[in-house]
Amino acid sequence: MLSNSQQPEEIRLEINLKTLVFACVCAIVFLILALRFLQLQYFEYDNNMKRAEENRVRKIDIKANRGYILDRNGVILVRNRPSYQISLLYSNLKTNVDSVFSRLLKITDSNGKRLLDSSALAFSFEKGRYQRFKYQRLIEDASLETVALFEERGEDLPGIEIVVESRRDYPFGSYGSHIFGYTSEISEKELEAPENSYYVMGDRIGKKGLELSYEKEFRGENGFRYVEVNAMGRVMGPATGTPFMQAVSGNTLVTTIDWKLQEVAEAAIPEGLKGAVVALNPQNGEIYAMVSRPPLDPNIFSLEKRELHKAWASVALDSAKPLTNRAISGTYPPASVFKVITSAAGLDNNVISEHTKYKTCLGGFHFGNRYAKCWRGGGHGVLNVIGALRESCDVFFYQAGLDIGHRRISDMSRRFGFGSALGVDIPGERSGLVIDSASYEKWFEKRGWKWSQGEILNISIGQGALLVTPLQQTAMIGAIAWGQGLYKPHFLKEVKSPEGELLKKFEPVKISEGKISEQTRQAILKGLDEVVNSPRGTGRRAIVRGIKVGGKTGSAENPHGDKTHAWFAAVAPLEAPEIAVGVVLENAGGGGAMAAPIAQKILNAYFYPDTSRKVLK
Amino acid sequence: MKKMDWLFIGSLFSLIGIGIALVYSATNNTELAWYKTEWFKQIAHFAIGFLIAVTIVFLPAKFWKNIAYAFYAFSILTLLFVMDSGHVSKGAGRWLDIAGFRFQPSEFAKIAYLLASSLWLSKHRVNIVQPKTLIIPGLIFMVPFLLILKQPNLGTALVFTAMLLVQLYWAGFRIIDLFLFVSPVASVILSAVSALYWNLLIICVFFISIKFKYPLWLIILIMTLGVGSGYVSQMAWHSMEAHQRDRILTFMDPDSDPKHKGYQVIQSQVAIGSGGLFGKGFGEGSQTNLAFLPEKHTDFIFSVLGEQFGFAGIFVTLALFFILFLRSIMICRLHTDGFVNLVVAGSTTILFFHTFVNVAMTIGFMPVTGLPLPFLSYGGSFVITCMILVGLLTNMRLKGKDIY
Repeated sequence: MLSNSQQPEEIRLEINLKTLVFACVCAIVFLILALRFLQLQYFEYDNNMKRAEENRVRKIDIKANRGYILDRNGVILVRNRPSYQISLLYSNLKTNVDSVFSRLLKITDSNGKRLLDSSALAFSFEKGRYQRFKYQRLIEDASLETVALFEERGEDLPGIEIVVESRRDYPFGSYGSHIFGYTSEISEKELEAPENSYYVMGDRIGKKGLELSYEKEFRGENGFRYVEVNAMGRVMGPATGTPFMQAVSGNTLVTTIDWKLQEVAEAAIPEGLKGAVVALNPQNGEIYAMVSRPPLDPNIFSLEKRELHKAWASVALDSAKPLTNRAISGTYPPASVFKVITSAAGLDNNVISEHTKYKTCLGGFHFGNRYAKCWRGGGHGVLNVIGALRESCDVFFYQAGLDIGHRRISDMSRRFGFGSALGVDIPGERSGLVIDSASYEKWFEKRGWKWSQGEILNISIGQGALLVTPLQQTAMIGAIAWGQGLYKPHFLKEVKSPEGELLKKFEPVKISEGKISEQTRQAILKGLDEVVNSPRGTGRRAIVRGIKVGGKTGSAENPHGDKTHAWFAAVAPLEAPEIAVGVVLENAGGGGAMAAPIAQKILNAYFYPDTSRKVLK
Repeated sequence: MKKMDWLFIGSLFSLIGIGIALVYSATNNTELAWYKTEWFKQIAHFAIGFLIAVTIVFLPAKFWKNIAYAFYAFSILTLLFVMDSGHVSKGAGRWLDIAGFRFQPSEFAKIAYLLASSLWLSKHRVNIVQPKTLIIPGLIFMVPFLLILKQPNLGTALVFTAMLLVQLYWAGFRIIDLFLFVSPVASVILSAVSALYWNLLIICVFFISIKFKYPLWLIILIMTLGVGSGYVSQMAWHSMEAHQRDRILTFMDPDSDPKHKGYQVIQSQVAIGSGGLFGKGFGEGSQTNLAFLPEKHTDFIFSVLGEQFGFAGIFVTLALFFILFLRSIMICRLHTDGFVNLVVAGSTTILFFHTFVNVAMTIGFMPVTGLPLPFLSYGGSFVITCMILVGLLTNMRLKGKDIY
């Protein structure tokens, strides 16, 4: 290069040029780098700062406590309890993963049964490996015994922690379970629904009963806070300068339930029988008690998933259908209780009067080539409408029904709430079926059945295709006796904030005027009175000392068994009714023998709360 | 001492000070005893490096010429040695353990190559139209280059390439010569980026070689290489495995693969960008402290600087580097000896190229090659290398005249 032929001055010039070129390249490179830094740090500063903040802070939900359910007197019916989740926090395992895994597998309960399943545990560990700073649930809703087992071994089980969550607690067990419903983890399908955007995976929501109807009142408002996390997701502490929101607990639901009556009603139904009991206030529709049998233990829905599946399968597959709330979802022939409607239809339309008498009841009635029996084989003799109600004479109502006609009867049925859902504030209510020629042919179109006058015989004694729910039956008897309209049955009395401030109050809603003439009403009340209080009445077992109880028995023939469904619908005090009670017991026999005593217990507890309480104890 | 370049020394120590402070702030979350911390070890590295540098400064100028080829041969041996017995770190055999010390033979190969190549080029002419003259310097380059490429250590291999080009320039190549010399490589890269640029390059090469009256055989050779390498690279691209292609694409657009290779570069850019004009303050900054920034005290130390001190800190540091390189290359103007010139130009190139590649990497201008930043990045071998170069440069400045 710098050859000897070159002069020193030439060499110097060449070196200076090369040095200059090098310095220029260097300067240009540094200038470009500097411009790029200016771009990142000045022109794109906001965006980069935002990304750095998004890296740094994470939002943590603070779950709100679910609101309580109270009875009308403040008794806590549904509350929350702490639920312990044995969880794995993989990041705390450090190096001893395998030893912790095998130690966990060796933990047994007092019966020597292993608490953890190896494949499920392996799955949780695998998940933990990818979500090192997230709790993996090993045992859901662990018992206190199990919690104690894990706490004792805390030293040997790094990475195993007990996370406390809140679950529903039902202090009275299965009592009232059909009213309250239950909560369970929100399903993926429900999460997809736009109205459920409030929820996240793992949240528990109301699935039935009041829990579902008033989910929005119960759930409260989740709070949130921001924490600072590092690149691995470890929470380093609260993030400074970030907003914070306290969780707001859900509202308290004060129901119309009178727990004393509910307990009496629950206890009154004999073990092993299926059926329903409803007690309500006919003056405003407030439901005091509602029982459905067989019972359902709502605590099973708070159980651990695997246990829940087992429990769920057992109730869902049970032929007795314990999940069904029979008081609103069970439909039965109204049977002889319906004679109240038939009577009202006849009297109010002046087809019959209090004095109208028909052919003597000799235990049956010839209609065309059909012989329709009366329930009493020996016959009732000659009766007017009051006597016919008292003794529930079928033959009287066959003949009256033919005179009154199916249209008047169905019209009267609808006036008192039959044939359509009453709108009670828990889901699952059915409408039942009111029969006249039009609805009959529509209903049985597929089978090709045609309306015939003979159907009137069935309808007028509450049989045939008629179907009602126990709630409708109870509301009907109450509305007829009250005489000032049919009110929407409901459980909501008040909504209160967690601090006890009144937020909402339920105003009674009249769903039907339930108009009948005073004369008609008085005649029917007389009939109802005699059913219970006359020596010849069919409902004598419903007598309550010092209170004028009215009622009507029913024994519904049905295709499900030899014995009839036992019905009893009662209302008291008869002149100014405060309470209506409906009882149905499936295939239990006669209404007067089986159902009336249950109504009597409830009425007794209502009018003499102190003595009945003592008896209960 | 009058002849000492105090501007050079001043910017050098400023950079070292900034480096130690950044290593301290990037690693002070640990609960280690002070003498086990990275910042303390880094001070120790510099103390050792400083002693070595001072020793080197006082060596006679002839010394380098005398040991050049022997040192080169020894260095090649150590490179061969780590090829099969190398300490495996990060999946690449790069380390050598001697008496309890670990060092990277590729670090010292840089200096060995620098001296050997300088010595040969100072005594022999090179000319692009006389291929014979390129054989020996080509071999001196290729042996360590291929050994290091095989480790694999692409970053360091690129440093050798940069040294080769600069030394060829100093040894007599014109810029036009260098342009033709690298055009086949440029052709590979441009053919992958865009057909238009590639075509433009080929046309430029053709006209330049005609205009500057290169011999016909050279024109044909360069054109064949240029066009051929472009087509071959196109074919290679299409025959590549998907993951290999992904790696290249990720470099070109880090956001396309934010959780893997591109993650580091994105987090680095976020760290730098979120520093703004004046930074978040010393020891502050979520990207560094919460470990979003990878390799924060080694490869990405410049991003720590950007986050904590903002554009102001970046600008000052780049200015210090610029002063350092300017003062280094200026040493050439003091001496006319070829060896001295080549050593100075080569040393400055090593430092400059490391700086450029590392800083460009933190802002997404270069792929993540693992080249550390001189005087700032944590790491023993590299600190020693840098201090040896500093000693060598100072030695050349003070004693370059004695070499005749």
